[in-house]
Amino acid sequence: MIVERDVLVVGGGPAGLTAALRLAQAGLTVTVLDEQAELGGQYYRRPAPEVAALWGDHRPEGRRLVERVRAAGVECRTGHLVWGVADDGRTLLAADPAGRPVRLRGRHLLLATGAYERAIPFPGWQLPGVTTPGFAQHLAAADHTPIGDRVVLAGSGPFLLPVACTLLALGVRVAGIAEAGTPYRAGLRALGAVRHPARLRELAGYGARLARARVPIWQGTVVLRADGGDRVSAVTLAATARPAVPVRTVEVDALCVGYGFRPQTDLVRLLGCAVRADAATGDAVPVTDPAGRTSREDVHVAGEAAGIGGVHLATARGRAAADDILARLTGRPAPRPARRIRRLARFAALTEALYPSPADLLATLLPALPEHTMACRCEAVTAGEVRAVAAGPAAGDLNATKAWTRAGMGPCQGRACGFAVAGLVREAAPAPAAATPVFPARTPVRPVEIATLLDLAAEDAGTDGPA
Amino acid sequence: MSATADVIVVGAGVLGAAAAYRIARAGHRVRVFDRSAPGREGSGTTAGNLHVQAVHTRRPGQAVPLDSARFLPLQRAASDLWAGLEEELETSVELRRGGGFTVAETPGQCRELHDKHRWEADAGIKTEVLDGDAARAALPLLGPTVAAASWCELDGYANPLKVTPAYLAAAIRYGAEVTPFAPVRGITRDAGIWRVTAGAHTVEAPVVIDVAGPWLGEVAALAGIRLRMTPVAIQMHATVRVPPVMSHLVQHIGEGLSVKQVTAGNVLIGGGWPARTLDLAGRSATSTASLLGNVALAVRILPFLTRLRLLRAWAGPLAATPDEMPLIGEVPGAPGFLVAGGTYAFTFGPLWGETLRRLAEGAPPPVDISDLGPERLLT
Repeated sequence: MIVERDVLVVGGGPAGLTAALRLAQAGLTVTVLDEQAELGGQYYRRPAPEVAALWGDHRPEGRRLVERVRAAGVECRTGHLVWGVADDGRTLLAADPAGRPVRLRGRHLLLATGAYERAIPFPGWQLPGVTTPGFAQHLAAADHTPIGDRVVLAGSGPFLLPVACTLLALGVRVAGIAEAGTPYRAGLRALGAVRHPARLRELAGYGARLARARVPIWQGTVVLRADGGDRVSAVTLAATARPAVPVRTVEVDALCVGYGFRPQTDLVRLLGCAVRADAATGDAVPVTDPAGRTSREDVHVAGEAAGIGGVHLATARGRAAADDILARLTGRPAPRPARRIRRLARFAALTEALYPSPADLLATLLPALPEHTMACRCEAVTAGEVRAVAAGPAAGDLNATKAWTRAGMGPCQGRACGFAVAGLVREAAPAPAAATPVFPARTPVRPVEIATLLDLAAEDAGTDGPA
Repeated sequence: MSATADVIVVGAGVLGAAAAYRIARAGHRVRVFDRSAPGREGSGTTAGNLHVQAVHTRRPGQAVPLDSARFLPLQRAASDLWAGLEEELETSVELRRGGGFTVAETPGQCRELHDKHRWEADAGIKTEVLDGDAARAALPLLGPTVAAASWCELDGYANPLKVTPAYLAAAIRYGAEVTPFAPVRGITRDAGIWRVTAGAHTVEAPVVIDVAGPWLGEVAALAGIRLRMTPVAIQMHATVRVPPVMSHLVQHIGEGLSVKQVTAGNVLIGGGWPARTLDLAGRSATSTASLLGNVALAVRILPFLTRLRLLRAWAGPLAATPDEMPLIGEVPGAPGFLVAGGTYAFTFGPLWGETLRRLAEGAPPPVDISDLGPERLLT
């Protein structure tokens, strides 16, 4: 089966939904694909119906947006994993919830695939009970289930604060927040005084709640290691400036560590859109104009996939991309999107500037990482192995290091370890000019059932006519 | 002032690494250059099969069938060298000789199995032809369309991501100097000495070995030698890791297929299916049509695969020749300029490494290569 639409939107979060609504309201045929069972993405994650009945909806504006999208006639394909691109370079290949293949073609593509969390390894991060803050948030929002009874949050970035508040609301004892930077030096309440930025006021609000609950925020602090048997039982913290010297040990039954987010650009890259390496993060970021148009005429990127900036920027980018796509497909002139996006991007940059840059963090933390630390958890490759191969035969080449150590070859395709493995390689040997800065995007984007491929091959052999 | 060496090897793939090791071990001074990281092109993307029984004659889309009977004495000689390799290199390369089946589905393919069995017997390679039921009794994972299969106990696998590094490490132990990220920019000859400029380095030596894989022709051209090479890109597929289920290599006599489970537990599916692009400046892109075709064929022969998930597909170059036969020998009119390439270079790695050593020393090769030299490809 081939689904043909005016616009295909991949990703049903704030950006994708906002764009889909606008495009459908203008009379275009639109399909939104999302790998999750419900629309909303990470930010507007829908609670399970039983949870919503008992506990309500933590973000009702998300429910309203999803309802408007459905009412506008957008075809919503949830539970659909887009795993690849056909050889024509434009047909998306997906699997539906039953594992049946679905092929989709749009006159235009909008990729709003969101982000994944940035991890930096530490000894013990492979223990059960060690997760990302995003996973704790997900568990709370979707299932009203606490990640643990006594939790430390660590890493860097504004996201740690709302997650801590979510956990408090569930009755979790948040033993503390270890923030690698010193963004709250002036005191969280003072942040509210900064001119304009609503997000900073929002942060100050979280800070007030945490203060009422007497949750300590340890600034300039990082995780040195996690210990435990079948599960994490303690976390040892250190000063960011001296990451190998223990400062305190806290008993926990869950530890959530994350250093913000990275754009999810696998599909962008498989479609051949140009990406650039961000100097501050090392991430591959799509090259776009302010409306999200990529190096390909028929592909736009919006939301966190276009660059991390939070829900308001994501929504604005979704709207701008929709307007630009409408202009292209209907000839209607597009309003200039730039001002609101520029303003929001400035706010995002302002917030970001409060926290240490991921590149600086890597430079501080990786040299202190013990050799035995698992760098790649899927394939159980240690930091020592990565360093030795990178400094030796791989000659500073990330992909050669991957090939020879298997770091990044497991089911997560390097999403969890890629940032740190790339950092370890850079640290171990000067990067040759020809080296690639990030793991390449691979087909399939996520592991896909061979049964699905078989059905697709049978369809291909039988009914596939010219587009 | 230039450095000197006895032998300059251009290309740190499996052939360059094997040759560097053999030559350095014999006491010669070896310098190896690679345009990027060692072993990252065809030698790192190959299936890693050790083919001892006769290979199928055509990749999907291949224009000319190779002469598989001609391969057999070479395969036998290579097989013997593989047997002692891990001991020789003092490391594991995940070498496994679990034996292999080559299956047939049609009456014509069954006849081919019997023909091939006779050639193998002539070459001293022990194989056995089983009917479909006997094959399924030996390997119950085989599907119902398998009408016959030939069995060779010497077929196997070695991890290509370990073989080239192991050869290079051994070469370095014997004094070879390996310089990655040094693309060769110039090759000249003066008074019987070759002068090679690679990156910022210039080295002189009486012997140059061009084992640059898909760039073999380009490198030769720097020395004024015009060789007709026809590099292509092919692709491989890997499932997620699963517990041990299959210790054999399974191939098809009439279609592009090789399947085996590797040490890590992933099942690798290949067979020379063409990639979407051959990109010598970057990474070649995989073809979804090839992925689907190769996987569907694999499931037909090994139905259990339908229960697994596909993890990854990747593509890499193959230094093919227009007649699909190996290329090895000294270039006529260019004394000391040796070339080696062509298909099945992974299986032939240890053999071509030793052959190149003998040629570099002016000694006769260990096998007859008189018809595999570059003469036939000169333009």
